[in-house]
Amino acid sequence: MLQRDAFIREITAAIVERPEIVFMSADFGAAALDDLRARFSQQFVHCGISEQAMIDVGTGLALEGKQVFAYAMAPFLSLRALEQIKCGPGIMNLPMCLISVGVGLGYADSGPTHYVTEEFACLRAIVGSSIYTAADSMTAALIAQHLIRQPCFAYVRLDRDELPAIEPAAAMAFVENGYRVLGESAPNKIALLSHGKMVHACLELTRTSPDRFFSIDLIRAKPFPAELVRLLSQTKAVIAVDEQTPSGSLAAAVFEATSRSGNFVRIVPHTLPETYVFENGGREYLLKKLGLSAEGILQAAKNLG
Amino acid sequence: MIEIVVALFHGDFVRFDPARKVFRDRVLISKGHATVALYPILAHFGALPQAEWDAWGKSPSVLRLFGNNSIPGIDVTSGSLGHGIGVGAGMALAHKRAGNDTRVYVVISEGELYEGSTWEALLFAAHYDLSNLTVIVDVNSLIILGTTDDCMALNPIEDKIAGLGLTVHVCDGHDFDSLISALSGKHVGVGPRMIVAKTVKGKGCSLLENKANWHYWNPITGEQIEQCRRELA
Repeated sequence: MLQRDAFIREITAAIVERPEIVFMSADFGAAALDDLRARFSQQFVHCGISEQAMIDVGTGLALEGKQVFAYAMAPFLSLRALEQIKCGPGIMNLPMCLISVGVGLGYADSGPTHYVTEEFACLRAIVGSSIYTAADSMTAALIAQHLIRQPCFAYVRLDRDELPAIEPAAAMAFVENGYRVLGESAPNKIALLSHGKMVHACLELTRTSPDRFFSIDLIRAKPFPAELVRLLSQTKAVIAVDEQTPSGSLAAAVFEATSRSGNFVRIVPHTLPETYVFENGGREYLLKKLGLSAEGILQAAKNLG
Repeated sequence: MIEIVVALFHGDFVRFDPARKVFRDRVLISKGHATVALYPILAHFGALPQAEWDAWGKSPSVLRLFGNNSIPGIDVTSGSLGHGIGVGAGMALAHKRAGNDTRVYVVISEGELYEGSTWEALLFAAHYDLSNLTVIVDVNSLIILGTTDDCMALNPIEDKIAGLGLTVHVCDGHDFDSLISALSGKHVGVGPRMIVAKTVKGKGCSLLENKANWHYWNPITGEQIEQCRRELA
């Protein structure tokens, strides 16, 4: 199941009992959304292809007590509407959940206008935002359940593609804690910290070299999980793997969290290069070429012993 | 601007609940730099506590140049242009779907018509037939660097708005009878009403009147302040 369908299904299930929920779309679809808008038309708002207006209108709805879910293609929900996000749910601290689909190179067939490779840094900088990323559909569903129960200003990053289910399966405790450990952690191992699709590349490497690596699926990058800081400080090094451009990627979040707590962990940023990619060939091809594969991550670890 | 908000609040368009000391209707000053016009009105109705009004211009004070919703009686944080109609449309939609008779008034500057988000929001408001939303555009024909006609033409504003299917009323933004007549005007089209209030920037102060450079801070002497007060008295 696609992550977006898993997420929207949870909202559809909750909306029956929750008249305050409003689901907005900037003309972005999903099979599950067809069901929601057909059955609950009075709680659905089509905003046209107008992400900025969607956030402003959602701000007005939230100011009147609605719990707003605003859903759009990631490149346009994030950067085009960034100032609306700051001025609405940011400054006024409103319970708006922004569902952003297609992060990273998810729109690999579309080119750099559709790549979402800077938004993590941008949204993380907005005061009061919580940032969630789903690595599989089960996690997406659990994030939805969590945010329905605990409304807040949240930015949810979903993948465009259907990603394999990760074992052990996601549980609500992982979402509430903000992360899950995949493999056995140990002080002599390198932690492969990532979120979204990159978790799968990290997991591949962890499975082939379990004595050297373990993986962490960072479900909530902001606020950065406090318990995770302690775990990271007890590792040999952290490779922060992120399908983002170098500035302000996941490594920056790890550095801020660990150094604030006085834990100076060795952090290796492993990201996309500082360039816009025009080459075609599909997402897997591009990720491999740009070093965001198990092989590429292994290369990044070569100087870590 | 002052005349516009006085007409709204004292012309019985914005209804006050004295028991709860809150307004039943919403007023969003999208041109956030003009929010100060609301403070004496909020104090007059009692929505703004007297102590806060007495602290105006002192430190600390919750009252500042741009409004924010931490100030009692202020419905939205504003200052960045081009957000007000969208936020107001969201409020209006919430009340329309709930079957409430709450009215939403949004005051924008004509300069906000340069922002694309303004037009996105107007399309939205028209589509959802938000007849409980009234947008008042303060047209003084000046932006920071000169007249709108010289810098980048906006006119004919009325035709452009009417082209969206909205009802447009044009009035003298300094004349209470004209403003009240426009605010009482019938809603004959789809979506919100747009009231085009023709104004003169700095009207009544010879020092400021119709001068674009008073958009931003200028040194002003105590004698000039007294002159403005005498002319406005």
